[in-house]
Amino acid sequence: MSQSKKILTIKGLSIAFGGLKAVDDLSFHVNAGEIYGLIGPNGAGKTTAFNCMTQFYKPDAGQVIFNHLQGEDVDLVGKKTHDIIKLGLVRTFQNVELIGDLTLLDNLLIGAHIAYQTGLFANAFKLPKARREEEEMTKKALEILAFLGIETKAYELAAGQPYGVLKKVELGRTLMSNPKLIILDEPAAGLNDTETAELAKLIKEIRETYSCTVLLVEHDMRLVMGICDRICAISFGKKLAEGTPKEIQASKDVQEAYLGKEASSNA
Amino acid sequence: MNFLKSRYLTYLLIGVVLASLPFLNQMGVIRSATVTTFGFIVFYAIAALGLNVLLGYSGLISLGTAGFMGLAAYLTTHFTGEWHLHFFASLLLSVLIPTVIGIVVGLVSLRLEGMYLAIATLAVAEVSRQIFIEIWSWSSLRPPAVLLLQGLALDRDGMYLFIVGLLVVLMMLTDNFIHSPVGRALLTMRASEAAAQAMGINLFKYKLMAFGIATAYAAISGVLYAHFIRAVDPSPWTLLLSLQILAVIVIGGFRTITGPIFGSFIVFGVPPLILNQLPVIGDIPGLAFIFNGALIIIVILFYPRGLVYMGQDLKKLIKRKEVKSQ
Repeated sequence: MSQSKKILTIKGLSIAFGGLKAVDDLSFHVNAGEIYGLIGPNGAGKTTAFNCMTQFYKPDAGQVIFNHLQGEDVDLVGKKTHDIIKLGLVRTFQNVELIGDLTLLDNLLIGAHIAYQTGLFANAFKLPKARREEEEMTKKALEILAFLGIETKAYELAAGQPYGVLKKVELGRTLMSNPKLIILDEPAAGLNDTETAELAKLIKEIRETYSCTVLLVEHDMRLVMGICDRICAISFGKKLAEGTPKEIQASKDVQEAYLGKEASSNA
Repeated sequence: MNFLKSRYLTYLLIGVVLASLPFLNQMGVIRSATVTTFGFIVFYAIAALGLNVLLGYSGLISLGTAGFMGLAAYLTTHFTGEWHLHFFASLLLSVLIPTVIGIVVGLVSLRLEGMYLAIATLAVAEVSRQIFIEIWSWSSLRPPAVLLLQGLALDRDGMYLFIVGLLVVLMMLTDNFIHSPVGRALLTMRASEAAAQAMGINLFKYKLMAFGIATAYAAISGVLYAHFIRAVDPSPWTLLLSLQILAVIVIGGFRTITGPIFGSFIVFGVPPLILNQLPVIGDIPGLAFIFNGALIIIVILFYPRGLVYMGQDLKKLIKRKEVKSQ
């Protein structure tokens, strides 16, 4: 079964800002088809690690080995930020980066940017090829919007939509690129309990329907413990523990660094 | 699809209204100076249409518009006057050369952002103006009339209709690529560079493309200027003109196709056609600049998206009133 195949392997990833080691010799791997969680308290270096994987930051040391769409292993370090999505790895943003003055449909079409073959001239003159391409992509985007349950809003502007809808649109946008691995940056941030539950269900459905692997960097323990197959907990840029949600919950280190505080503050 | 058709219809309608002016002049309803003023309005609108792709859609500022316009005006004067090239060959070359120069400038300067890019493009424009003076001196050159076919020379009205036709075509082409992956990539880049990169949009490539488009439109505008006014000298291609074209977009509306036409009418049309005809205040020197300056301040304060959105907002307001009254 391909379940045990490694899709993403992080080896000795390190990055420092000035003297501060934000991520320090971090190593873990994600298997194909799993939902993997990267957790840690505030300032643990989760988002920094995330940005190193997607090449928004250039790590000082380490490797990010990704098994790309054609099935070969490549090191993402040193690749251009805008080339990462072509390999089959796509990300979302913590604060939702959508285009307010475009419709939800158009926002999804942006996700298909790399799939378009036609350029400026073909589109300016509306050549048949450009029309056909736009029709195909629109069809696909509408299907994804239907999958997300927001197809009735397809032609509404993104500006002014509820946060829950925007989060869904951002997820939908990642699906437009036929990704192998989706990395979600704190998908539950800003969502209420009902929306978070809905999101958990949606992430699972995405894995089943679009057969992708999901890596989520998350703060919200209920989401992580509820849907992740395996979890890596980090603190001060270093790995504390790795394992199933139960193992992580049982880990003394993790409790000290994160869950202990979280539990007392939640109570 | 119907929505798209209705947008095309708007552009055609604008074209038809503009194209009717020479005939109104022949019927004696308006003066021929009015037609000339509208010629200015239309080719400046073309330059503004291109600049809007750069400024409105991709969020970059260029103050080089006038420089590239001037370059194209001089080139076409030289190609048609000295080398006797056919107008269309000259149009192609006079647009291609500034565009290539523009892209080279972009290759160097697009690593700069905001004000720095504006200053860099301003420098390029001022340098080109000095080059015009060096090569062609201050004297005024006389570009020949446009010969569409052998023996079919366009008079001023004919040239005016040609310019209006080109404006309509350019509006449609711009509309097409703005509502395509290219336009969406530009918009994404402006809204969030991070999101653009994550979606595989090569920022530099699209900045360069937007810069190239703005330059090409400015060059088209310059060529039309030369053959419509039929007098080219170094005096118009200054920062003032670049700023006026910027004002066209600010007043007319960002990220719209019809905004630049509307804005161009206000900036280049209202002062000579209306303000200067008024008694007493019509004689104030520099009235156009006072008017435009005041208007920019008012628009930025109260209507930052531009006046072209007024129509939409009015419609919404009326609808809301209707709903309320029911």
